[in-house]
Amino acid sequence: MKGLLWLLRKYYNVLIFIFLETIAIILLNNNSAYQRSILVNAHREVSGTLYSLIEGGREYLYLKKNNEMLVRENTLLRNQLESLADTADTSQINVYDGDYFYTPARIVHATFMKQRNYITIDKGHNHGISGDMAVISDKGIVGIVLESSSNFSTIIPVINRDFRLSVKTKKENFSGILHWNGNSHRTANLTEIPYHAELETGDTIVTSGYSAIFPEGLFVGTIENFQLEEGNFYQINVLLGTNYQQLFHVNVITNYLRKEQLELEEETDQ
Amino acid sequence: MIRLFARNIVRFFVVVLLQVLVLDNINLGGYMNPLFYIIFILLMPFETPKWMILAGGFLLGLSVDLFLNTLGMHTAATVFIAFMRPWVLGIIAPRDGYEADTFPRIYYYGFRWFTIYTLILTFLHHTVLFYLEVFNFHDFLSTFLRIVISTFLTALIIVLSQYFIFRK
Repeated sequence: MKGLLWLLRKYYNVLIFIFLETIAIILLNNNSAYQRSILVNAHREVSGTLYSLIEGGREYLYLKKNNEMLVRENTLLRNQLESLADTADTSQINVYDGDYFYTPARIVHATFMKQRNYITIDKGHNHGISGDMAVISDKGIVGIVLESSSNFSTIIPVINRDFRLSVKTKKENFSGILHWNGNSHRTANLTEIPYHAELETGDTIVTSGYSAIFPEGLFVGTIENFQLEEGNFYQINVLLGTNYQQLFHVNVITNYLRKEQLELEEETDQ
Repeated sequence: MIRLFARNIVRFFVVVLLQVLVLDNINLGGYMNPLFYIIFILLMPFETPKWMILAGGFLLGLSVDLFLNTLGMHTAATVFIAFMRPWVLGIIAPRDGYEADTFPRIYYYGFRWFTIYTLILTFLHHTVLFYLEVFNFHDFLSTFLRIVISTFLTALIIVLSQYFIFRK
């Protein structure tokens, strides 16, 4: 007993070290656990408020550029409206357009040089945002909403090692998986496109719409280069449309039919 | 004693805020990101009990983690260097040991001693952090390169800060 006490006194700091290190590893592993969501939710409200103060200042520096971007987007939308008015035949307008609702949001914090990057936006439950919603910018897709608190949400962007999305080539409709290898925040990887697809540098990659998160046909990026891997699949580098370094405003897409689609798929599975 | 304690607590908050609000937005070449906050561990007084360094490291890592959305990663790395600090201090101790009423600073022990001290602990911290972040050994070399570059960057900022902010 005395020996044990002596041991404890001599090595208590090793024990504390092992104990704290264990907590850290547990925290690291429980990425989607309940505890984490509670801890992070409470914290997100605080950090979100703090970040939006700072971001307000940073945004001011980019005001001119932002304005130009908004004007450009306005023009684009006006042109689209014009072309729709010309048809004047409602049957030609895609009826499914009404199933998606766009919520504008401002980025209050974003990282782009880590292996697991995250973005925080200033909209949450109070604005109808919840997990698994798609996020886009005027330049292309941005990511997927991970978790929301009352006024803020975190987004897992394409440039996060955990991100996976089904996409396809616009020209031939070959679908593959988009993910990120952790190198440049401008490029992502596209795999599982079969060897008989005819690819060209500069081809457009769009969302496939299989996941019920992203609507079909949203711009993802263009093919930067590609090579044939052993095993009949292409290894493709995609130049992302969205430049995360210059991203300030995004749109969150609510898919009204998502629930119905998921329920149906679940039923079919059983 | 109490003043020393209060000063360390203030430093804790300054360092965390500086890290998450300013330094985390600095990005050189897409790979390097100075992790200045570990200076808190480096500058703790020599006589600090080991458990207090460990607890400080844990709280520091956790605070940074919460802001950066990387729960556990910075905590593990910072607790690790908090554990290694007494050992590193022992290895690089000057011939006569550490004198009373001095702190681990350039002011007391010189540029060379402080730089070696900083480089060793920064390297240990970054090694744990970066490999936890990647969580595999596939890109062993590219990760190692990032560790080395980031270590120099962090150490440079910590050493420079000795001349500007934490002078004495």
